[in-house]
Amino acid sequence: MPKRKDFLALVLIVLPWTLLITFWHQRAGNPLLPVLKVNRTGASKSHQRSFRLHESCIIKNKHITEVTRIKYVHSHSPPWSDALPTLHVITPTYSRPVQKAELTRLTNTLLHVPKLHWLVVEDAAQRTAMVSRLLENTGMNYTHLNVETPPNLKVLKKPRNARIPRGTMQRNLALRWLRENINSRSGHKGVVYFADDDNTYSLELFEEMRWTLKASVWPVAFVGGLRYESPKINSQGKVFGWRTVFDPHRPFAIDMAGFAVNLQLILSKPQAYFKLKGVKGGYQESSLLQDLVTLSDLEPKASNCTKVLVWHTRTERPLLVNEGKKGFTNASVEV
Amino acid sequence: MRMRLKLKTVFVMYFMVSLLGLIYALMQLGQRCDCRDHDMSKDQQISHLQTELRKLQEHVKTSELKKTDVPRIYVITPTYARLVQKAELTRLSHTFLHVPQLHWIVVEDSPHPTSLVTDFLAASGLTYTHLHKLTPKDRKLQEGDPSWLKPRGAEQRNEGLRWLREMGAAAEGKEAAALEEAVVYFADDDNTYSLQLFEEMRYTYRVSVWPVGLVGGMKFERPVVEDGKVVRFHTGWRPNRPFPIDMAGFAVSLRSVMTNPEARFDGDAQMGFLESSFLQHLVTMDDLEPKADLCTKVLVWHTRTEKPKMKREDALQKQGLGSDPDVEV
Repeated sequence: MPKRKDFLALVLIVLPWTLLITFWHQRAGNPLLPVLKVNRTGASKSHQRSFRLHESCIIKNKHITEVTRIKYVHSHSPPWSDALPTLHVITPTYSRPVQKAELTRLTNTLLHVPKLHWLVVEDAAQRTAMVSRLLENTGMNYTHLNVETPPNLKVLKKPRNARIPRGTMQRNLALRWLRENINSRSGHKGVVYFADDDNTYSLELFEEMRWTLKASVWPVAFVGGLRYESPKINSQGKVFGWRTVFDPHRPFAIDMAGFAVNLQLILSKPQAYFKLKGVKGGYQESSLLQDLVTLSDLEPKASNCTKVLVWHTRTERPLLVNEGKKGFTNASVEV
Repeated sequence: MRMRLKLKTVFVMYFMVSLLGLIYALMQLGQRCDCRDHDMSKDQQISHLQTELRKLQEHVKTSELKKTDVPRIYVITPTYARLVQKAELTRLSHTFLHVPQLHWIVVEDSPHPTSLVTDFLAASGLTYTHLHKLTPKDRKLQEGDPSWLKPRGAEQRNEGLRWLREMGAAAEGKEAAALEEAVVYFADDDNTYSLQLFEEMRYTYRVSVWPVGLVGGMKFERPVVEDGKVVRFHTGWRPNRPFPIDMAGFAVSLRSVMTNPEARFDGDAQMGFLESSFLQHLVTMDDLEPKADLCTKVLVWHTRTEKPKMKREDALQKQGLGSDPDVEV
């Protein structure tokens, strides 16, 4: 009998202490204490304590917001909370005198577009300070990548199909980034668009492409030696051909700026990339699209392809004749 | 027996102490339930906060745009019909939409307003005035003329100035007070402007100046500033002009424009002297106000857009198969 009593006593002693230790452990492991309700009755001491906790709460929340932002800027998926599909705009860019100007005015356009994620891919061995600073100052959702096209493949002396069309490796890198950073099962709705840094885009265009189910198409001005090129639409509202003069029999006789693809389609076909070599002039777009969609899948936008909402403008190369051999102007001033 | 008593006491004491301790801890953790709820919605909280942040930024932006207590900027843009006109005006309008208190004066080189520009301006969302003034034939650049042959846009800019002077003279009360502080800038439709530029020029007393990128055959041209004053101009072409500065490199106060009614652009001026023909009526080099960090930052670029190649279009036109002219480009 004494043994039983002792045993009972032991249990009754140990039990509350184990419970206590467990609770304290849990509390220690939980740094985020919620905001206390104002009407809580309690000792004045605990009330003061709760006020302090409230402050640390806010600070910690701010911290979390900031951390998320930084993480996002350095290539992590942005948070999805809105119903609006995200526009992933891929812009390859390379260093030349007008680069900063081009990116500046493109930024001024893109800043008007909601729920846009800008992927800027530099054709450079390293991300340049100029582009980094420019992107940071925009306040936009962006991802800054870089990949250098091997110089021997850029050289004009090589025959056409040995050269890689400009921007190909950069666009492919952006596609790879999307595939590696966005989970196709996360239910994320998005559309991918390739926007070169010297074209001109109307704001209407972005809202047209936002609701792309598979791939959408529209006219583009100043390509193919015409006022505009456009898909041919039949009475059922389906694409059946291409209104172009230059090789209208290409599988997709359309400019890079003339189509957008649903993100899920990109993610579900991970082998689809722009072909690097052996691509005839004008077939670059087809090299990607033929792995993704057929002609009948295409959705015509811009009022059944009757309005021009994007212009393939090209900026003149400035004649820096007065710079001379040594450079007349101060090299430290960024242009 | 002693042992038992001791044990009993110890046990009772122990039990009371632990009970009190437990009660104390439970009081501290009284809100554990709420904690758990908050844990699960941490992500929601973050998204919610970010949305709130964005809403606030939007609010700040729109309230900045609605700001009426900053000096107004009148931007005069001469424009003429060519293939890239709509594209140029489109991307220019995207820049202007970000600038608070901006009034765009678009002057077409045309005998009457065109529907392209009329419709475009109406849909732009900007505050604007649509004018037109045809350049006399002898002053107009002909097809095939190099762009530097004759100065362009003089008549249109003068028309803009005329409208401003007329409007300024008729203004009363609050409007007149607002015009006292206003600034005038000449923005060609193919250049590229950063948003910061407009904030630099907003507070101009007479004439303010800054560097311009990609002009005069150089990476940039700029006024050289010493002790806060412009002492000379850094340019690679004809530095002996009174004001060797590009149209995009200066802004003038509306007050100066009003008090110097004879100041206008001389359409017959030699190439490169167009700016000087206007500025010499208003100011001397001494009085220029240097902006953009004492003229060390490039905030505007003199970009030029290539003329699109239309050889296939031309060939089709000859066959009568040109692209649908009803589709506006």
